[in-house]
Amino acid sequence: MKRLQLQRWSSSVLSPRARTVNRLHQHIYGQRYQSTAPPVQTRDDQTTAIFEESSPLDEQLAQIVKESHTRHSQLQYPSPPVEAARQSAKLAALHARLYLPSRLPIETLARTLVDTSADPNPNFNNASLATLGHDLLSYYATEHLICTYPRLPLTVIFAAMYAYVGPKTLAAMAREWGVDLAALPGGEVDPGLLQFQRLDPGTELPSGPSHPTARPYEAQKNWRKTVTSKIFYDDEFGDPLKGAKHSAAGVTTEQASAEFVRAVMGAIYLHAGRAAAKRFFEQHFLSRHLNISELFNFQAPARDLTRLCARESFERPVAKVISETGRKSRHPVFVVGIFSGQDKLGEGAGASLMEARERAAVAALKGWYLYSPLSVRVPSSMEEPSALPWKPVHVDLGEVIV
Amino acid sequence: MATSIAATKRPFLTLPFLIPSLSDSLALGFRRNQSSYRRTKQRLRVKPDSSFDPSNLGHDHIIHNPPSSAPNAYHTPSKFLPADDIRKSSMVSSTTLNADDLPGVYKSMPERKYHLTPSDIEEIRNLRMNDPMTWSRNKLAKRFECSPVFIAMVCQASPEKREIQARILEAVQSRWGPKRRMAREDRQLRREAWGRDA
Repeated sequence: MKRLQLQRWSSSVLSPRARTVNRLHQHIYGQRYQSTAPPVQTRDDQTTAIFEESSPLDEQLAQIVKESHTRHSQLQYPSPPVEAARQSAKLAALHARLYLPSRLPIETLARTLVDTSADPNPNFNNASLATLGHDLLSYYATEHLICTYPRLPLTVIFAAMYAYVGPKTLAAMAREWGVDLAALPGGEVDPGLLQFQRLDPGTELPSGPSHPTARPYEAQKNWRKTVTSKIFYDDEFGDPLKGAKHSAAGVTTEQASAEFVRAVMGAIYLHAGRAAAKRFFEQHFLSRHLNISELFNFQAPARDLTRLCARESFERPVAKVISETGRKSRHPVFVVGIFSGQDKLGEGAGASLMEARERAAVAALKGWYLYSPLSVRVPSSMEEPSALPWKPVHVDLGEVIV
Repeated sequence: MATSIAATKRPFLTLPFLIPSLSDSLALGFRRNQSSYRRTKQRLRVKPDSSFDPSNLGHDHIIHNPPSSAPNAYHTPSKFLPADDIRKSSMVSSTTLNADDLPGVYKSMPERKYHLTPSDIEEIRNLRMNDPMTWSRNKLAKRFECSPVFIAMVCQASPEKREIQARILEAVQSRWGPKRRMAREDRQLRREAWGRDA
């Protein structure tokens, strides 16, 4: 066996940090500003003065001055210029790490990292991409949930939507993708950093909707809001719609990261098409594990199950003790099954007969609500070429209302 | 030779059986378990469960002992499958346990009579509204031969009575110490956890 000759390829393997850099090299190419403090603006007459002075000096010095001049010219922009995207190692690494399609240019990826609070110009920030990406994410997640579990109650759908494409999940994804945050946005910042105007510490976030919504009797704060009305008036998570945010105040890290992930989704859809966007959604969003059976919270499961059996004209559910141990002891265990006729609907174990019965009713209700058809097809699968004719999905009567 | 030297070097008090009077008094407390190979085997020789016994059937069969875990929530019972689902017809009802043979959770299931008329319900409401101190839920249930839950479904106590009741409850709870209060709160929390299946 031959030995690997480390000397040969060590120069390409070693990170550039490890190489010795002389001062001149550092001085010419400069250190990247990450803008921890607002940079000092130099007046134009000063730079021209430098240029006039530098003309008798040698070529190297002229180059240094030129470099600094371009950096100063970058300072006037609120976000990095488009041509800086090609120079950023972070952007190229992010593009490669996410296996983004090659049709999505680096420049667009750089644009997805510029929040509205950093650059209010809609031609340079990610607002339009994020809007598109948000709609796509909501649509794909909704159709997946409703077609896979057609009987889910609405509150559970809202919770599952929040878990799949909610802002907290998107912010966690941005962190997992290795996107670093810029301390302050600016034209000289590395375009591979997420740029947004941070919220000042101690600022109170507006809790309610910032603008009047279409919901009637909005002013009545203590009135009950029905779950059904949330479909119509509220957003896809059942929360009140947020109005257009004012950019002067800044945004939280969570909001900015979520906007970035949405913008990436929108950018993939625009540049690489619908199929790539759907694949990206399946690989990055649907692949996250979510146990939907843990999202339920029943107040009166036994009563709900009775109503359900009456609605579906099944026999009345009866709780029966399947097995028990230690009834007279300090820690008894009862296993109770709920039967409708001869069919067992659910089974639960508990330390008392009441607990076991309630848990059995919960299990039976989950068995009903978590029904999933065998071959699930979503409406967006019809957009594929040579798709089979559409067969209607299972539509349920809806949840039990007592 | 070496062992005998070591034995003599040990402090005398750590070996109490060497002192005859001391070993007698401590005999009960220090008795070791007399485990031997034969005794261990004998203890493990238990009669197998009846479900393991293949002799009670006339033919060969597979012994199926269901796992001791709770059933999966994602497994839909065949009764809950819609009519157009092919699993409904293909699933063989292999119910080994007969629901009629199993004991119920309650001693006796209350018989549902459905005997109350709208005039009865009107009377219940009048009684509860006019004299709430006498006609409590339990008394009304006894008189009209229905459950207290039904009384609560058809009528509500007057606001004054509810106020009095809330004050009584508050007075009772004010006498609770920290232990009882925490125990009650924990019980409530555990009850709420049943619905979450946690």
